[in-house]
Amino acid sequence: MPYFKSDAEVYEFIGKLFEDLQEDDELAPKFQKANTIVQYQYRNPESQITVKMIDGEDGQVDCGETTMEPEVVMTMDADTAHKFWLGKVNVTVALARGQMKAKGPVAKILKLVPLVKPVFPRYRQMLDDAGRQDLLDAA
Amino acid sequence: MSFREFAQFTAPTRVVAGRDLIDGIGFEFMKEGAQRVFLVTDKVIRETGLADRVSAGLADGGLEVAGMFDAIEQDSAVPTVEACAAAAKEAGADSFFAVGGGSVMDTAKIAMTLFSHGGTVHEYEGIYALPRAADGMGAPLPVAPLGALPTTAGTGSEVSMAAVVKDHEAKVKLEFADFPLFPKLAVLDPAATATLPPAIAASTGMDAMTHAIEGYLTLDGSPQRDAFALHALRLLNANIEKAVLTPEDEDARGNMLVAAALAITQSLGITHSMSHPAGGHFGVPHGVANAINLPHAIRFNAGGEPEVADRYRDVAEVMGTETGGSGPDVGDALATHIEGVTERLGLPRRLSEVGVPEDGIPALVEGAMGDGCTIVNPREPTEDDFTDLFRKAL
Repeated sequence: MPYFKSDAEVYEFIGKLFEDLQEDDELAPKFQKANTIVQYQYRNPESQITVKMIDGEDGQVDCGETTMEPEVVMTMDADTAHKFWLGKVNVTVALARGQMKAKGPVAKILKLVPLVKPVFPRYRQMLDDAGRQDLLDAA
Repeated sequence: MSFREFAQFTAPTRVVAGRDLIDGIGFEFMKEGAQRVFLVTDKVIRETGLADRVSAGLADGGLEVAGMFDAIEQDSAVPTVEACAAAAKEAGADSFFAVGGGSVMDTAKIAMTLFSHGGTVHEYEGIYALPRAADGMGAPLPVAPLGALPTTAGTGSEVSMAAVVKDHEAKVKLEFADFPLFPKLAVLDPAATATLPPAIAASTGMDAMTHAIEGYLTLDGSPQRDAFALHALRLLNANIEKAVLTPEDEDARGNMLVAAALAITQSLGITHSMSHPAGGHFGVPHGVANAINLPHAIRFNAGGEPEVADRYRDVAEVMGTETGGSGPDVGDALATHIEGVTERLGLPRRLSEVGVPEDGIPALVEGAMGDGCTIVNPREPTEDDFTDLFRKAL
């Protein structure tokens, strides 16, 4: 059984996390150095989040439909995404196993990996604040 | 020794190695299902007569040579790959055979992909981005057979699932990695490296040495990769100087081809993280950059966890270098040994000798921090660490 019951739940937590990161004065400029638009395509439940990280431009996060043209497309189960933000996924292993698939200039995304560690506690806190112990325990 | 969280190893390319294989190359490639072969090479190789010899060898084995494409530049470009695929279609080929170095083999891999699946070069950029069954989660869809005769001993593309193509318009290198990009056949014949200039033999050989060492140290390794890497290092240590300084030594050249094919791996480390931007920003040849950066990366890594130094001890042992003492001592002994090899090969020892200015360091650091090899390095570097490493390498 997938951790998230619907695409709306994916957007409520993972989508919200991306939106919060765009507002973060310290992290947002670092992420924008990736200079790309990434689309995360999730399975189980089907959902999609598109994130603009362009140097010198305002960030943008679209949950669901988007008019942005992604340069990089990351495909994975929503469960994998959830575990990633809990700090429980080794990205190199996930890529090697095909649990995460990356289309486009992958290096632009890999450079973000060392930056996301401080985000893991924030995701946990978000779930905790929402009373979603089930999601914290699930992974 | 701990059991890894995850390890994956695959080496599906059939490798044949030996003397006088070129004239019977059709006999081998026929076993992979080839009938009408499209030869991919470059003008320099063609001028040596090697491509024509391969063509004759294919025909002698009962295969038809449907056509030959030799318009490949040093960093193969998107339009070149597209032209190669279109020419193979036009010729009615059913398979590809690459004769050349990394650029030729990588061109053949992506041309073979376009030939088999259609679409554009950019569509296949990424990791596991080739078409698959079961809604993208199943087995890769079949592609045309690809064979390769490497004419350098370094890149390892003849047995790897990776390829790089340059998008000159966007000024970026497109990277591809997927299982169908493993050639079906690699033919390692020292006759194919007989005309290799010593400077190229030296730099490509040091590239192979870097693959082996970083492949043994990477966080993303496997026990099988360890075995390949250590034997590659034995062969490299015993043969690299002979192959470069006495190029008529066919045994040494053959052993270097085997070593390069054993050494190649997807997961590397910060030597490559440093060398990629040095090539991108200042045009430093990849093997030369690796030769310069490798000792500095070793000294840095060996100062990390004791397990890292232990692995360098293994490397030093197979390379016949005495080590002892603490981690930094081990790293220094191995790095000094490698610097000696580089010097005897006549390669540059400093980035400043090959056109890297001091004010280029910030751009190099930014590139290295964002390189995919950095996250699988056995010691996590900071920006300050990379700045220090580049200063030392300068």
